[in-house]
Amino acid sequence: MTLMMTPMQLDLDIRATLRSGKRRFDMHVQCTSTSQRIAVYGPSGAGKSMTLKAIAGLFTPDAGHIRLNGRTLFDSAAGINLPPQQRNVAYLFQDYALFPHLTVRQNVGFGLRRGWFNPRAREKLQKVEHWLAAFHLQELAHQFPDELSGGQRQRVALARALVAEPNALLLDEPFAALDPALRVKMRLELSQWQQRLDVPMILITHDPEDARILGEHVLYLRDGQIDSMEEHKALGERIG
Amino acid sequence: MRLTSLARLLGTALLASAATSALAGEVVVSAAASLTNAFKDAAQSYEAQYPGSKVSLNFAASGVLLQQIVKGAPVDVFASADQETMDAAQKQGLVLPAERMDFVSNSLVLIVPHDSKLGIKSLTDLTHKDVTRVAIANPASVPVGRYSEGALKKANLWDAVQAKAIGTQNVRQSLDYVARGEVDAGFVYATDAAIMKDKVNVVLEVPLASPVLYPIATIKGSSNAAEAKRFVSYLQTAPAQAILAKYGFKKP
Amino acid sequence: MDIAWTALALSLKVAAWATALNLLLGIGTGYLLARTRFPGRELLDALLTLPMVMPPTVLGYYLLVLLGRRGTLGIWLQDNFGINLIFTWQGAVIASTVVAFPLVFKPARAAFEAVDGQLEQAARVLGISEMAIFFRVTLPLAWRGILAGVLLGFVRALGEFGATLMVAGSIPGKTQTLSVAVYEAVQAGQDDVANTLVLITSAVCIVVLLSAGRLAPGRIAHK
Repeated sequence: MTLMMTPMQLDLDIRATLRSGKRRFDMHVQCTSTSQRIAVYGPSGAGKSMTLKAIAGLFTPDAGHIRLNGRTLFDSAAGINLPPQQRNVAYLFQDYALFPHLTVRQNVGFGLRRGWFNPRAREKLQKVEHWLAAFHLQELAHQFPDELSGGQRQRVALARALVAEPNALLLDEPFAALDPALRVKMRLELSQWQQRLDVPMILITHDPEDARILGEHVLYLRDGQIDSMEEHKALGERIG
Repeated sequence: MRLTSLARLLGTALLASAATSALAGEVVVSAAASLTNAFKDAAQSYEAQYPGSKVSLNFAASGVLLQQIVKGAPVDVFASADQETMDAAQKQGLVLPAERMDFVSNSLVLIVPHDSKLGIKSLTDLTHKDVTRVAIANPASVPVGRYSEGALKKANLWDAVQAKAIGTQNVRQSLDYVARGEVDAGFVYATDAAIMKDKVNVVLEVPLASPVLYPIATIKGSSNAAEAKRFVSYLQTAPAQAILAKYGFKKP
Repeated sequence: MDIAWTALALSLKVAAWATALNLLLGIGTGYLLARTRFPGRELLDALLTLPMVMPPTVLGYYLLVLLGRRGTLGIWLQDNFGINLIFTWQGAVIASTVVAFPLVFKPARAAFEAVDGQLEQAARVLGISEMAIFFRVTLPLAWRGILAGVLLGFVRALGEFGATLMVAGSIPGKTQTLSVAVYEAVQAGQDDVANTLVLITSAVCIVVLLSAGRLAPGRIAHK
């Protein structure tokens, strides 16, 4: 099953000032892109996470606008600020943020149930089963997150994100928690998944290899500002 | 090193303070709650009369005081608000009959809050449906409660009034509830009503089968027998009698 | 030993109601203080913890003044609802609720703070409403800590004496709770009654405390 997606159009221009005690961090990030694979690359503290969170609605900039696929998610001038619930993007946290009290199956199906109750442990929803199979998680479906390895947890997080058929996939340093060998493997897998599903992806990382392989449009972020941009055919595509 | 010398210093200080109190002829007096104000004044006057003496006062319902003595509290003098409690003390061998005497009398009154609009004029009025709460001290341990129960039973009103009774721990608590307006009426001694005459009104003096006589006695085996006897004798003197009279206590 | 069973039943009733109230109040305020930031937040926390350090008789006095026939709240209740809480078991519930509140509220706040905020963020992005997040993510992860506090609050309410005596008095069958009954039995020299009451109260408290100990916070429930 491929997700039929129109090419992503990202129109982002945000400003924010963060204060922590005496320290002050100003950021101003602009980006327009029609690329399906955007990588935001920069050192720690550059503002990558804040930018990604702003797109997801987990952080509200002081001013600016964010438009995704023609839909305005945030516009300070017009007073628009969609809550994360309404943005229909998927966000993958650095440490996956899997719900520790729910099984793999319940985690994956979490977003499909909108009420006050979690999906039941024994309940098998068609979409959930499909993604469990796609990521080879069927045997682990009844287990809890703390019983899984890092790589397995990432797959669960990904499945959970994709089940909701998001407009875009936002990844926060997706491979930072993995060892180098696993990193190489997962990078390739992610690249293949992204192509197969045709789901637009924005990835933030401080690892140049991530940017090289997964970024078609790479933004270099430093001290809250875009240093430079590069557009190139992502290496991942060539390797395919 | 510092810790042990500090400990030694504290220890010596504690022992010294204990020793001084034993030497100074301290008298521990347990007295019925209704005697609170009168005895505080009397004790001050006693200490002025006999410099170097010390009176420690302990007020509560007579029944409570009795239990404390039964369980071994170091009391030297006991003044209760009724004969029954003192009889119980005597029966348990805590006081010597020769040392016991009645020193004041009191009367039982029915009081209402000063702004009461219920128009309570008699004991029978207490059975009226508009009267919902009446403060009566717990008869099991408080003399004034027993007096009230006795009077109400004699008037055949006990069952009706008991249904509305708010049990209190001592006569002063009854007084407080009436003064606050939390109850519609209450039973206290005339001496208690006099203390709060701006907040409570006396409806009537309740007739009792036998007069309210307060006995006082020294406790057998007290460590300050001489001092205890002196305090009891002091209460017979003119200045002490004047203090008691000031608060409304009458001669026995 | 009629008096004992009546007092026990009353104590359990009052403690149960007080604990139910505190469950709602404690969770509500615990969540509010855990998840929102506002100036004076810690001051509010300190004020809400005050009943734990105040002498119960002092609390009882404040409640008596506030809820009595001449008190601001007392007059309001009398005029609008025709009710007076003094000398009633409902008054005893109020006294116990106030006294035990910090014991429920503080562990609840700590339990909520211990829940990883990122999990709530993840649920938001997945499209789940704030209320649903509270019931599906936050509460399931915090309930053990909350429950431990609730049990402590229950035993505290069960043993409440000072404030209860002032506010509710001691009316056998209506407001004479176990602790008050013990007090009066001792005062009247009824040692056998007192002993029975003390044994019953101790047994109940031990059972509840043992249950609370099994719910030590930090252990995630696995089926």
